[in-house]
Amino acid sequence: MTDEIRAFLLAALTEMKYDVDDVDDDTVFGPAGLDVDSLGLAELAVRVEDRFGVAFDDDEAEMLAMMTLGEFSRTVAQRIQPASAH
Amino acid sequence: MRPGATITGIGLVSPVGSTAAEVFDAVCDGRSGLSRPPEGHPVHGVVDVAAIAPPIDPASVLPGPESRVVDRSIVMALRAAGDALADAGLRVGRDVDPYRVAVVVSGVGGLSTLADQVLRRAERGRFGVSPYMLPGTLPNMAAARVAITFGIRGYTSSVGTACAAGAQSVGEALRILRAGEADVVLCGCAEAPLFPTFADAFGNARALARGWADPTAASRPFDRRRNGLVLGEGAGVLVLERAAHAAARGARRHADVLGWGATNDAYHPTTPRPDGSGAAHCMRMAVRDAGLGLDDIGYVNAHGTSTKAGDAAELAALADVYGAHPPPMSSTKGVTGHLLGVSGVLEAAVGVEALRRGLLPPTHNLDDPDPAGDVDHIRKQPRPVAVDAVLSNSFGFGGHNVSLVLTHPTTP
Repeated sequence: MTDEIRAFLLAALTEMKYDVDDVDDDTVFGPAGLDVDSLGLAELAVRVEDRFGVAFDDDEAEMLAMMTLGEFSRTVAQRIQPASAH
Repeated sequence: MRPGATITGIGLVSPVGSTAAEVFDAVCDGRSGLSRPPEGHPVHGVVDVAAIAPPIDPASVLPGPESRVVDRSIVMALRAAGDALADAGLRVGRDVDPYRVAVVVSGVGGLSTLADQVLRRAERGRFGVSPYMLPGTLPNMAAARVAITFGIRGYTSSVGTACAAGAQSVGEALRILRAGEADVVLCGCAEAPLFPTFADAFGNARALARGWADPTAASRPFDRRRNGLVLGEGAGVLVLERAAHAAARGARRHADVLGWGATNDAYHPTTPRPDGSGAAHCMRMAVRDAGLGLDDIGYVNAHGTSTKAGDAAELAALADVYGAHPPPMSSTKGVTGHLLGVSGVLEAAVGVEALRRGLLPPTHNLDDPDPAGDVDHIRKQPRPVAVDAVLSNSFGFGGHNVSLVLTHPTTP
């Protein structure tokens, strides 16, 4: 599942005109990495909510800037399958 | 007489050129900007004819991620503002204190972006809505983006007076400079109305020209066979500057904006007051504000959109002001189409060229003036006449009237 989420995020970022050529699991979304601005993060969150049926509260959306692509993919994956994760 | 301000930079995005000289040449040569929207264009099959500006790659004016979701009106505004600053040889921060620069760039906003998002929401619910809709749609965003892009930190605003908005932005700029609130103002307008919902609204209001086999014949201001306006898109930004500021930095001065007037018809949301009294008062006000007499005006650039009611009311206004001896007049919309709020800026640029060249541009397609009478239409050919002052009219839905007075650089 994490792979599918990662692929979805990369596709979404590409569509949003971010350059993902050098992006890997350790790349952060914020200024030190992809440098996605607050509206971009909000859009990304909405897309993930739509696609995977998860929900983020406002604080979590802000935290996204600090996360790496890998961390975010795993977070979403855990949230999708809480039952099977245990 | 109150001081004027000087135009040091002109930037245009239009169906007939990106400089004042190109636009003026097109108007004088009758090189029309009107065409049938080609297949693949958003208003293909929606309108018979439109005035389409050249495509601009959003990434050429904005960083990649932002360029995806920006409205065309903003892209055109940024291009025009950049060109105007380059034309003025002005760099904010180097040549002028960023807090002493103002922006008044107007327009109806990113309505096609709004329409698109409304459709997406209807289809997909809240997940269809992008948070980028706000910077894509709000009508202040053209001005804001100009400020962000060029590091301008003084007064910024936009005025929402429909087709008078561009001219009114120039007027507001003059007011700001006279009040000493800035040394430089980027003023103008950007409009991107060529999408189906907006075009249909004009069409259903019976405002659009229709039925013309030759699309270039569709816009025919003051002609007996006129049957509506032709929607156009574009942007226009002027760098308006305190004359002393321009002189101190050795800037070239294109022309001066010496005065302006603004009134409202207080009559109807879309129909102009038939007697033209609001527009007449506006013209007198502008000439008086410039410290000139009515006889000093050597050329009137009419609003003249090619609608039945609008053109008739403007002629009534001109007769009210000038009686049987009006100055030579033309509308340049026969060639350019109607760029809504942008038209006031585009036509100010035409006025600048008319002053500079001593040449008055004709009204394209004006074959049979309606009514025949005491109007000195410039028709068929440009007319070589050196003039001292130009009066440029812009009128908008809502009954907004704005007139600008342009002269050779004279303000001390």
